[in-house]
Amino acid sequence: MGVTCVSQMPVAEGKSVQQTVELLTRKLEMLGAEKQGTFCVDCETYHTAASTLGSQGWSAMVRSQLTATSTSQVQVILLPQPSQVAGIIGQTGKLMYVMHNSEYPLSCFALFENGPCLIADTNFDVLMVKLKGFFQSAKASKIETRGTRYQYCDFLVKVGTVTMGPSARGISVEVEYGPCVVASDCWSLLLEFLQSFLGSHTPGAPAVFGNRHDAVYGPADTMVQYMELFNKIRKQQQVPVAGIR
Amino acid sequence: MADVINVSVNLEAFSQAISAIQALRSSVSRVFDCLKDGMRNKETLEGREKAFIAHFQDNLHSVNRDLNELERLSNLVGKPSENHPLHNSGLLSLDPVQDKTPLYSQLLQAYKWSNKLQYHAGLASGLLNQQSLKRSANQMGVSAKRRPKAQPTTLVLPPQYVDDVISRIDRMFPEMSIHLSRPNGTSAMLLVTLGKVLKVIVVMRSLFIDRTIVKGYNENVYTEDGKFFLCVKRSFDVLVFALRTDVSVLKQLVICKLDIWSKSNYQVFQKVTDHATTALLHYQLPQMPDVVVRSFMTWLRSYIKLFQAPCQRCGKFLQDGLPPTWRDFRTLEAFHDTCRQ
Repeated sequence: MGVTCVSQMPVAEGKSVQQTVELLTRKLEMLGAEKQGTFCVDCETYHTAASTLGSQGWSAMVRSQLTATSTSQVQVILLPQPSQVAGIIGQTGKLMYVMHNSEYPLSCFALFENGPCLIADTNFDVLMVKLKGFFQSAKASKIETRGTRYQYCDFLVKVGTVTMGPSARGISVEVEYGPCVVASDCWSLLLEFLQSFLGSHTPGAPAVFGNRHDAVYGPADTMVQYMELFNKIRKQQQVPVAGIR
Repeated sequence: MADVINVSVNLEAFSQAISAIQALRSSVSRVFDCLKDGMRNKETLEGREKAFIAHFQDNLHSVNRDLNELERLSNLVGKPSENHPLHNSGLLSLDPVQDKTPLYSQLLQAYKWSNKLQYHAGLASGLLNQQSLKRSANQMGVSAKRRPKAQPTTLVLPPQYVDDVISRIDRMFPEMSIHLSRPNGTSAMLLVTLGKVLKVIVVMRSLFIDRTIVKGYNENVYTEDGKFFLCVKRSFDVLVFALRTDVSVLKQLVICKLDIWSKSNYQVFQKVTDHATTALLHYQLPQMPDVVVRSFMTWLRSYIKLFQAPCQRCGKFLQDGLPPTWRDFRTLEAFHDTCRQ
């Protein structure tokens, strides 16, 4: 896993999402990139359900559900300390995102907004079904991005259309530089590459780069970036239908 | 068949020799006829014997005469050697069944190929001799008598000395760590880890660097067998953390085999491997190999900023998707591979 930068490409004036994606891919192919299959990243949102049980009872219930299939990390994340439970019950449910990335087909990522990110195997989805009582899926919350992968030298570029339900809401661009594992080292290099095909739409340094100075970059950081991107797109106003001609 | 090109074959002598062969054949058959007929009927036994012997002798003399005549003529005919420059192997071309045993065409191809090989080898040796790449102290071409006695050879050094040199170099730079192992006999194998940028496997031959492979920090440097041990090592890491023991001790307990053959998955590190091979040929000092190893490691250390340094010539980071991978041997400045000239 190399350093990855995920950003959003604004839709070009007077063009539809599809046409902008085509423009981008044509630019990439002119640069010399080769198509290498497709990719898909999706995200589902869950609310932690406010429960009438006391904090002790809550954690005991969850623990009993988890004894069948659990890893130590799952217990750490999903069993909040009693103090936290009190806080949660007081608030409206905290949001948990469960994401999948086709680059890691056997893994499932679960993360809170500013909290830890858990990397589990795909049976985690089954676990979420069992925990229906405590984590309720938000209605119509599934958001995903699909598109093609391009390989240029050591760079892996993924251009995808972000869709929520049937409507296309935006364009995501992900660039991964395989050889480097420390984010702060290669940001200038990545920036130069991004400029070569995004031109003026080149993003600034992602927030995760600043947080981890010399730590080794991991797939969890990529998923955090995707989560931020999806949240941003969700908050954006829907693209007016009149604009798409 | 009038062969105009072939002057050496004497056609006259040729036809005369053919008739001489026929004469010889007939005289030989006359000998055997005489023997078959036996003695003619004469009055006395002696007369019959004498006549038979005289007849027999005449025939043998005529055979002798014809044989001498044939020998003389065959010397005049001459050797048609220019027709068949391949001598006996050229006669393979007369084989009418070329499809089943294409010996002659294969022979010709083998000959052309070996000619080309010889030509290319000659060119290559001419080019290579221009730059002497001798890294050992032994001189070629000096006879055993003239070679000074007791010349210290740096090719055979005690392994302890090599270990000492390497551990001293290990302590030289804080961001570079060198781990030495000897899985295959006496030649040392070093695993050099440079910060979080790259890993280098260096195969040594006493204190001379033989070859290097450069791989990324997150790539696997062990063989398939070693992977199992790596998993064991990871679970040990958790145990170690709990027990607060020294991780390096456990590392040595686990036997991991270094993979010294497979290339890196990334083009940038394949390029750096090529440059490292150039560097190990460039730094040469046969009498003081530890200085050579030190200079090589100093050069290698300049790669700590592989992804951060722009090219000194063009100022950019990327050229054809590669960062500046060349480090000058004297000044250690970063250049793109195409910018260094």
